Amino acid sequence: MPKILLVEDNEMNRDMLSRRLQRKGYEIGVAVDGAEGVAMALAGGWDLILMDMSLPEIDGWEATRRIREAATGPRVPIIALTAHAMSGDREKAMAAGCDDYDTKPVELDRLLGKIQALLPGNG
Amino acid sequence: MNGLTSAEAVGELRHELRTPLNLIIGYCEMLLEDATEPSQRAGLERALRAGRDILDRVTSALPSSRSEVTGPEIVALFTSLRAPQEEVQAATTGLLGANPDDPQWERDIRRIRAAAERLLTVEVPTRRMTGAATGSFEAPTTELPTAGPPVRPADILVVDDNEDNRAVLERRLGRQGHRVTSATGGRAALELARRDRFDLVLLDVLMPDLDGLAVLEQLKADPGTRDIPVIMISALDDVASVVRCIERGAEDHLPKPFDPVLLRARISACLEKKRLRDVELEYLREVDRVIEAASAVESGSYVVGGLAEVAQRDDALGRLARVFDTMANQVRAREDRLRDQVAELRKEIEAAKGATREETEANAPALPEGQVFAGRYQILEEVGSGGMGMVYRAFDQVLGEQVAIKTLRPELVRDPVAIERFKSEIRLARHISDRHVVRTHDFGDHDGTFYLTMEYVEGITVRQLIDQRGRLGMAATIAIATQLAQSLAVAHGEGVIHRDIKPQNLLLDANGVLKVMDFGVARLGNTSTGLTQAGMLVGTPAYMAPEQIASDNFDARADLYAAGVVLFECLTGRLPFVASTPVGMIAKTMMEPPPVPANLNPEISPALSALVLRLLAKEPAARPASGAELGRLLAELT
Repeated sequence: MPKILLVEDNEMNRDMLSRRLQRKGYEIGVAVDGAEGVAMALAGGWDLILMDMSLPEIDGWEATRRIREAATGPRVPIIALTAHAMSGDREKAMAAGCDDYDTKPVELDRLLGKIQALLPGNG
Repeated sequence: MNGLTSAEAVGELRHELRTPLNLIIGYCEMLLEDATEPSQRAGLERALRAGRDILDRVTSALPSSRSEVTGPEIVALFTSLRAPQEEVQAATTGLLGANPDDPQWERDIRRIRAAAERLLTVEVPTRRMTGAATGSFEAPTTELPTAGPPVRPADILVVDDNEDNRAVLERRLGRQGHRVTSATGGRAALELARRDRFDLVLLDVLMPDLDGLAVLEQLKADPGTRDIPVIMISALDDVASVVRCIERGAEDHLPKPFDPVLLRARISACLEKKRLRDVELEYLREVDRVIEAASAVESGSYVVGGLAEVAQRDDALGRLARVFDTMANQVRAREDRLRDQVAELRKEIEAAKGATREETEANAPALPEGQVFAGRYQILEEVGSGGMGMVYRAFDQVLGEQVAIKTLRPELVRDPVAIERFKSEIRLARHISDRHVVRTHDFGDHDGTFYLTMEYVEGITVRQLIDQRGRLGMAATIAIATQLAQSLAVAHGEGVIHRDIKPQNLLLDANGVLKVMDFGVARLGNTSTGLTQAGMLVGTPAYMAPEQIASDNFDARADLYAAGVVLFECLTGRLPFVASTPVGMIAKTMMEPPPVPANLNPEISPALSALVLRLLAKEPAARPASGAELGRLLAELT
């Protein structure tokens, strides 16, 4: 069962998305802010990370950069999630070290497609 | 309203709108995966459609390519979101409680509703300054829907059982500079409101433990919390609900979801009203303190400087407090002086003790001691006599107390018209109630002897005092004068003129309290010359004012002249005019200026000497106008 780390500060978003993904057969771990996200990501064991970009203090961009800088071992794919929906966000996410990008509100099928595409063995 | 002019600011606004949309759409889709009950599916689908409708509007109004959006566009967008937002609420209302066995269902539906509510309370992010990057300067234009006049920071208690609602309010109010405390329910709110000081309470109506209306009632019933303004927040915005809140004492009512501009405006208005009310209450409290101080002055317990705090105000009340304090000081100084003067008077009285009783006149019809007169007055002793008749100390067997009885000479009461006039005067005199006036009880006749009964005062007359001491000191004289002035002020206020003020009619008890007797009695003998038909002197020419001697046409100022003669005599030990016959006395009174008291006794201060001369003025208009004015003039002497 693929393990996904969801980094999201909004409790309701966390609740909703983790439940929806669990229903689809993923094992979900959650981090509630950027620092926790970095720590949990570096602790390892994840097949994929869903990173909300607007987090307090250490935001998603910065957290991604830190993960990429500090990580050893196999590269875990990171999908950026943002409700800002600004043009250029995708490029910015890629530059920060993300592998894909999606906007909120989440369209679950679209997001599941992106997750599937990035999971090991599917690339 | 100005718009947003940077990509970041527009992105921020998108984020604020899309985050709750994510929840509405996400939860609806998730619940639809499991829902089988057709009515539940219908409700969820309806809410989902409304959510997607909102998303479409947001996406088309704020496409990702846009980095600028105008104020009117923002307003138009928010306005267009209102209907679908209400649609989400309406669609989910019936879903609440639809799955009683599944607590998570209930929570999820509430989250959809909270998210929908949040949509219209979105903060429009403050416009970022973009000018700096290009080197040009634009005046900062940050007037946005949430902006308004600056708000005084306040302590606000937010009461809502819904965590998200609390979070939104905390964030929003915090941004406006307020200090926010949250309570998760009615009981907790009451506890906090009673313990801490709040400027405002925002109170949700629908709460599980103790609903908002009950909390409101308890807040308003408690004197400690009833002055805190309360704004009710409720999704129920029908007139009846609003009226219920207002009737129970709420300051205002905000419908949920609330408009941020409206929220800010109402909170500001509420706080301003509270501030003004506090200022007013403080003012009234200080007015109370001035009034209390006034009572304290009256009862002699005022502490100088007791109004120091109020006196620091720079308004009219502060000025009043300062003037009042000064006046209270003067009053106290006067009272101290009067006390010293009375003490001097008591020394004189002590020294005069042992004075022989006045010689009695043998020709008056005497009542023997031990006899019961008029069926109720047991005669105890004869205590004096005068032009009017004899005075006895007697025991009133009916009332069981001592009284003084004054019998009147038969020739004074021969004329029935004079009797009637006298009776009406006595009726007036009976109204005078003052510690410096001997109280008149009754007038009657018994076996052809007319008599007056009055309060019996143990003491000596000023006549006896002067005779014993030769003359009195300044302080003792002023003590007599001050008390005499007060009795005249009271009597004249009741329309009673004494007509026969003289040392024989002024009684002093052992404490130095002066009592004036025979108010109105001289009316009986009043004729143009002060002589009775039989040629008997009733008034006492030495103390009669010129106008009183000359005609019937005189007023209260005649009593002031007589007071002047009494004071002259106290200070100098002699009368202003000395003559061997009544006619000679009358002539001098009419024609001669009186001697200057200070020339006869160098100890007399020039001011007091001048005051006595003013009292002795031939022309009534040149004298102090009343007993009250004489009292004021005496108080000014130092």
